Amino acid sequence: MEITHEIWKRHFPAENSGAHLFPEFEMRAKAVSGEVFRVPAAAEAREALIRLVDAVQARKAVVVESPLQEAAGITAALRSRGVTVYTEAADIAAHADTADIGISGVEFGIAETGSVFQDGYDIATRLVTILPPLHVVFLQSAHIVPGITEAFDIISQSFDRGYVGFITGPSRTADIERVLTIGVHGPSRFAIIAVDEEPKGGDA
Amino acid sequence: METEMRNLRKEISEKLKDETLRDALGRFSEAYPIARAKAYENAGDIETLRDALRQMKIDTVERIEEVADRFEAEATKRGVKVFRAKTGNDVKEYLVNLCKEKGVKRIVKSKSMASEEIDLSKHLETAGISTTETDLGEWIVALAGQKPSHMVMPAIHLSRFQVAEYFSKELKTVIPPDIAFMVQAARTELREKFLQADMGISGANFGIAENGAIGIVTNEGNARMVTTLPRIHVVIIGYEKLIPTIKDAATILKVLPRSATAQLMTSYMTMIAGPTPAMVKRDGKWVEEEKEMHIILLDNGRLKAAHDDKFKEIFQCVRCASCLNVCPVYTLIGGHVYGGHTYAGGIGAILTAFLSGMGEFEQFQELCIGCRRCTTVCPGKIDIPGLIEELRIRNVKEKGLPFLLKQTFENVVSNRKLFHGLLRLAAIGQKPFQSGRLIRHLPLFLAGMAKDRSLPAIADTPLRNRIGKITKKIDKPDKRIVFFSGCTIDFVFPETGESVFKVLQDLNMEVLFPEGQSCCGKPVIALGDVETTKKLAKENIRALEEQNPDVIIVACPTCTESLQQYAELLKDDPEWGPKAETMAKKVREFCSFVAEEYGKRGRLTKTGGGPKVTYHDSCHMKRVLMIDKEPRQLLEAAGCELIEMKDADKCCGMSGIFGVKYAELSMPILEQKINNIRDTGAEIAACACSGCMVQIQGGLDKQLPGVRMKHVADILAEKIKE
Ligand code: SF4
Ligand code: SF4
Repeated sequence: MEITHEIWKRHFPAENSGAHLFPEFEMRAKAVSGEVFRVPAAAEAREALIRLVDAVQARKAVVVESPLQEAAGITAALRSRGVTVYTEAADIAAHADTADIGISGVEFGIAETGSVFQDGYDIATRLVTILPPLHVVFLQSAHIVPGITEAFDIISQSFDRGYVGFITGPSRTADIERVLTIGVHGPSRFAIIAVDEEPKGGDA
Repeated sequence: METEMRNLRKEISEKLKDETLRDALGRFSEAYPIARAKAYENAGDIETLRDALRQMKIDTVERIEEVADRFEAEATKRGVKVFRAKTGNDVKEYLVNLCKEKGVKRIVKSKSMASEEIDLSKHLETAGISTTETDLGEWIVALAGQKPSHMVMPAIHLSRFQVAEYFSKELKTVIPPDIAFMVQAARTELREKFLQADMGISGANFGIAENGAIGIVTNEGNARMVTTLPRIHVVIIGYEKLIPTIKDAATILKVLPRSATAQLMTSYMTMIAGPTPAMVKRDGKWVEEEKEMHIILLDNGRLKAAHDDKFKEIFQCVRCASCLNVCPVYTLIGGHVYGGHTYAGGIGAILTAFLSGMGEFEQFQELCIGCRRCTTVCPGKIDIPGLIEELRIRNVKEKGLPFLLKQTFENVVSNRKLFHGLLRLAAIGQKPFQSGRLIRHLPLFLAGMAKDRSLPAIADTPLRNRIGKITKKIDKPDKRIVFFSGCTIDFVFPETGESVFKVLQDLNMEVLFPEGQSCCGKPVIALGDVETTKKLAKENIRALEEQNPDVIIVACPTCTESLQQYAELLKDDPEWGPKAETMAKKVREFCSFVAEEYGKRGRLTKTGGGPKVTYHDSCHMKRVLMIDKEPRQLLEAAGCELIEMKDADKCCGMSGIFGVKYAELSMPILEQKINNIRDTGAEIAACACSGCMVQIQGGLDKQLPGVRMKHVADILAEKIKE
């Protein structure tokens, strides 16, 4: 069985996508309390992450690797910072609930809504994205499509089975007196680190 | 029926006294339309999106069995156990057995209206299985021992102080009424439940036949937990949520978050096709195992609706609740009055009728005043008031009308001479009781519906007795016009009838008033009595057509609509059907006709120098006849300074039986209207509907005596020199 994560790129439109859509994507993502850090290359991506880690004084991280993260040496950087990092599914299951930060890669972004699309077939990915209070994702900044319709052109050709979805800002509720409150069950902070440079080998 | 009515009225007045509720709903109904419009700003043409959703759903329901079979086959192929449940009991049985078999003790639930509809949680609790709602609003409502009062915001009727009380009780510690703090407290408490649960039950916003996937939109993230953490996931989904292809999901997602919560997208949109891995603790170690996934496809009346020519329309509902958010009745009283059922508002009355049987429908349908506001926002373009009228008709067919109404309609209203005779008698008899409050559809007061209300102020001389005096001889008339006045202009506002004559005669048209015309039938059909309506229709067609008119003019949108609908009403009648159709083509609403004629003569230009006027859009004028520009143009042509009021097109609150029976509810709606009129500083409130005139004049008399109510025809007539 092929899961979406492995094949979506075959269906990613070369035209009608790209970094020129990033400003709109960024504006929309920020409008829903997403934090967006666009960086030129791996080194800056690493710095952006470290700043976040320092800001929340993270001690424990659960991480699912992605090519962008590997290129930036994220896991090693965290460890050298004294952060305990878990990357195996069993460890993530044991620690995601008490981790300060969850890190994962996403496939592409949607300019219309400021959403990111992620294949969560992998159980570790889902735990990392939903349980810790801060979720940081890595995104290739050219991987942006204009809207929901274009996103579904890709999804309809690459989602046969599994668990996929959009994440749009942090978890929120307005269930008490319609007052918007961030961070109910899921993360209260959602940060996107968008990297312009493609990781070596050209495949994110 | 009496006792039930009395209870509902009592409930309504309780809700009207509930300051928290009034305040919350009031603020929300102000904020919602603005937020919604903003959310659609970057979505492209909103009508195109609504049409696409509607069409996709219509195509699906036409072949619902095929779509369901494919959905089941694809889900099964991917390892899901699919169970088709005919009734709520089937669901309960299946789940209790499953829990027994798998040793499930604790369940976490994310939002599922289908499960609320069948009262699932209570059943599971009774069976000894701990079941926790994890959507914050649902959890609050469950702790309060209540039912959700809104489809999207279940706890909108509660204040932070009330929530703090429920939390303090549940968590056995004092919780301050601080929203952020309470949300955190809920997070902590519910997190434990997620981690300990053996089963997650979720609903679904759509189910995709192409690959057996289900889709869920949420903001809190609880659905992601419910579908990820426990080792068993059960989905409960109604047939109406099925869609053929993955791409069809985009059609829903373009509109659902925007309409439901005025978001471009919810925080989480999740699609699950087949079981995925889960982490399970075995001998103290976490191991990866494939999850067990079940999908329960719930019928509970849905398939019957799917095969019903009219009611298959409910498959177009995506449960966004925008129809509630704009409904003048819902936004006053909230969802609980609709019987505390899962589905509230107009659509709720319809769903309840189909999902729980007619018995429940009778009461709530009265809470739809047919203002059609919901039809302008519903993303699935459902004709909610139309379906409610259809249900009323069926209800009457099945059970008959209440005795008194039946007597009145069959013996009085359908007998024109007797009916008009009684109206004249009323003109004499009313003197000692007369007051500013009137009843919109006259025939109702004869049915004893006006027990607690003043009689309508019937004019001393009805229009029909003034015809000789007001008819001018026109030598070479441009057109031969028959005027259909409707009961209200005839018996309550004959002066407006005179104005109509004057304006049309001034346009060099011959105007005739056939004596044989009667009630248009609207109040009768509105209560579901088709047979009497047909009788009235034939009587009117005969009377109007006898005169061989070029045009039939009506100065009330409701009557206009009724005359035009005779064709549909009589379509199976070989003799009268074609006649009705021929006649319908001649029927014209007064303002749109006059504006056209003024235009031809170069008279439709702004003149100025006249009084300050504000215009009220009657619901049926604007949303059935789609006429809103012409009356304004006419007012400006007559020299008026037009000042728009806020919510000019919001219902004035009196509609047929509703305004009379639920006066306490009709009055606050009217009050809003009067306040909006007051804020414009206008001297005259104009409208083009005799029904609205009755209501608004009643309100102005009491609350704003300095402002007069006038029909557009009256204002035009005043400008014409004798
Ligand atoms: S027609 Fe008016 S009263 Fe009836 S459900 Fe729609 S908005 Fe509410
Ligand atoms: S009837 Fe229309 S507006 Fe109301 S909940 Fe359904 S889709 Fe939304």
